[in-house]
Amino acid sequence: MIQFDNVNKVYEGDVKAINNVDLTVPDGEMVILIGPSGCGKTTLLRMVNQLETISSGSILLNGEDVTTLDKIEMRRKIGYVIQSNGLFPNMTIEQNMMIVPQLLGWDRAKKRDRFNYLMDLIGLNPDEFKKRFPHELSGGQQQRIGVARALAADPPVMLMDEPFGALDPIIRARLQEEFLQIQREVKKTILFVSHDIDEAVKMGDKIVLLRDGEVMQYDTPAEILNHPKNEFVNEFVGSDRVLKSMSLYTVKDLYKAFTLKPNFESKDIRTINEDTSLRVAISMILNQEADQLVIEDNEGNNHGSLTMDLLEQFLHKEIKGQEG
Amino acid sequence: MNELIEYFVKNYPFLWGYMLDHLEIVGLATITAILIGVPIGIYLTTNKYLAGTILQLASVFMTIPSIALFGVMIPVLSVINQGVGFLPAFLALVLYSQLPIIRNTYTGIQNVDPQLRDAANGLGMTTLQRLWKVEIPNAMPLIMAGVRTATVLNIGIGAIAAFIGAGGLGVVIYQGIVRANTTMVLAGAISVAVVAILADFILKLIQKKLTPKGAN
Repeated sequence: MIQFDNVNKVYEGDVKAINNVDLTVPDGEMVILIGPSGCGKTTLLRMVNQLETISSGSILLNGEDVTTLDKIEMRRKIGYVIQSNGLFPNMTIEQNMMIVPQLLGWDRAKKRDRFNYLMDLIGLNPDEFKKRFPHELSGGQQQRIGVARALAADPPVMLMDEPFGALDPIIRARLQEEFLQIQREVKKTILFVSHDIDEAVKMGDKIVLLRDGEVMQYDTPAEILNHPKNEFVNEFVGSDRVLKSMSLYTVKDLYKAFTLKPNFESKDIRTINEDTSLRVAISMILNQEADQLVIEDNEGNNHGSLTMDLLEQFLHKEIKGQEG
Repeated sequence: MNELIEYFVKNYPFLWGYMLDHLEIVGLATITAILIGVPIGIYLTTNKYLAGTILQLASVFMTIPSIALFGVMIPVLSVINQGVGFLPAFLALVLYSQLPIIRNTYTGIQNVDPQLRDAANGLGMTTLQRLWKVEIPNAMPLIMAGVRTATVLNIGIGAIAAFIGAGGLGVVIYQGIVRANTTMVLAGAISVAVVAILADFILKLIQKKLTPKGAN
């Protein structure tokens, strides 16, 4: 658990970089720090592992004030991933990934096992990549290694500073998916800086929206999108926030919310799997692939058909309904 | 041309002896210069203010003509009865090679991607670990380039040290001038050049060996 307790950072000349931040990152959750450039999101992140000093207030890591901990020891217990992957060009992939275990003095066999395990986790062949150098890998592969390096000594907490920011959109989306998969398995407590609201919505259990070092809203993605607290949040999440929020729901959520009759009428109607997000469902309808889609669960059962009308009703129920 | 070849054939034991002297003094001076210059260069990366001053000072030494510096050494070192010979030559060469070594080490370490430094800190390396595992290996090509420059420079300047009785291939050139023997002057000069080229080549191999595969 990471707790920020009235945290401030003031630069010379009374410039407040971080202003009275109070928030808690619960165990096993991924919290996204987001905001416009210069809002202090990276600074806040780097204050956790003491790469930036804290002017006043305290940051507690599992109940202990970080400033009282030994810096070096503490950092070895926190996974750290940066945008430019930060792999050391002079070391092989194996050496890069095993840096923290090396610093902690693990024996050879333990390091080798861990390396093989992590390479499997990120979907790269351990023997093929072991002896290679970072520049011989693609950007996506390098970033996977960067993430795996942070996981190397199995730290309970991870700090990720725009880990996928430098990748092209297709690779970024794939790495996001992969990382969510990994997170489901490893359940780390993660603080994640992003500048991309779509990424935040997709990845975060909760989102912290910052402006000028101040927390504007700290909520679940659905709350931020559906009920922005103020004009700034509203503007930041974008006028298509309703559409964005659709990516938080799946077709399954929709058919659970209504009682639908199975549809066996027409033969050339397209089907849609229950795990598909509603955002994709809307695009399918708007692309005029079909004006209704037959909902199928993973066993192939028919759960009725999805139409634009139904989506509107669902939206009303889920989003507007909560307002009253 | 034939005369020159004949000279080399006839006098190679004599030339060989002077060359070994030459290598000894240049080698010792360069090694000492590395032992002093590299740590200074590394230290300067932590002290920007001092860096400017020291680099300036090292540049000043470079601008003093070598013959003048040798001249200055004589009265100073005469105090301890070492006015001529090995010691003044050695000291002058150490001073001359400081600039390329300090400057290249400093620049090399400074130029290591700040993101790598950040990653090293964030992963929990101590300052020394960061230096050994990240900064020095990645600065190695530049550091070695400085060492090569210093060595070649010293081999050339070392020839002048013959004037203060330090021996070496300069003696051959000097005697050639005194005796108005062009062949001898040429033989000495060519020997110095060959030694410089060979030294540079060998250091290049060492540089390759010392530079980690991924770092350049």
